[in-house]
Amino acid sequence: MMKKTNLREVEKRTYMSYHQDGLIDIFVGIYVLLFGLGILLMTVTDFSTWFVIPAIFPAIMIPIWISAKKRITMPRIGYVKFGSRGANKLMAVLVGLMVFGLGTFMVFSFSSSQGWALSLRNLIISNGMIIIGVAAASISSLFAYTMGLKRLYAYGLLTLVLFLTGHFITIPFGYFLVTIGLVIVINGFVLLIRFIRKYPLPQGDEANVEKTF
Amino acid sequence: MSKKPSNLKNIDRLIHEPTRLMIMTQLYVVESADFLFLQHQLQMTPGNLSSHLSKLEEAGYVEIVKEFIERKPHTALELTKKGRNAFREYQQNLKQVFSDLPK
Repeated sequence: MMKKTNLREVEKRTYMSYHQDGLIDIFVGIYVLLFGLGILLMTVTDFSTWFVIPAIFPAIMIPIWISAKKRITMPRIGYVKFGSRGANKLMAVLVGLMVFGLGTFMVFSFSSSQGWALSLRNLIISNGMIIIGVAAASISSLFAYTMGLKRLYAYGLLTLVLFLTGHFITIPFGYFLVTIGLVIVINGFVLLIRFIRKYPLPQGDEANVEKTF
Repeated sequence: MSKKPSNLKNIDRLIHEPTRLMIMTQLYVVESADFLFLQHQLQMTPGNLSSHLSKLEEAGYVEIVKEFIERKPHTALELTKKGRNAFREYQQNLKQVFSDLPK
């Protein structure tokens, strides 16, 4: 009974159950995949499309994701509105990441005049794949911890392993992103199919229960 | 020995019933949820869930909010302020009962 009434556990379980549909994986995976394809396309066509893709993707995909959530998830497992606590935690993580990004940008900006920044910049460039891999794995783990979605740890580990491999093997950067994106998208679809099978649409009387209550 | 019965007396029996405790716990960690969501989370039959929710509603612990989502009627369930306070009090009282037990 004590285990069942552990509030934090119940909160995590509730959050996880709402994201077991794999939709978040599909959309994040497509984002990474398109980003990778954009970089590859840029090397072939010499056109900076990869700047356009990350910029317009959220504007297009977030409404589609919300709509998919309403059409696929809600009719099957119902609707839940989470409190502001979770959103605040997520916002804190995003602000932290923005500060980190700004710090990195400053290092690159000052690198022409400051000695320490220049050496840090050179260190980042010479170990780019390792640093990006560690950063991506850390960000993924941070989101996994904040959101309680354990599969994000696996995505982080996959990113780390691939990018560490990339430090020693000379393969265009875009291929790594395409691989990671594909794995995430495929896993998302597997989760979605499993979710649809596990929670079929309520039929007949079952669908009318809410009205009688 | 004299402490124990008085502490136990403070336990809210309406919440203490295992099924209703699960409902209250589930609603406590979210802002609101609908009937179907609760049914899936708690793995209860509609009839059973409905009867327990009615008791909690009668006690003023749960509120039924009728709203529209994308122009469709939707029934959301949420804990009232009274319900949240009662749940917190229940938690404290239960902790007290266990801490008063001889080791």
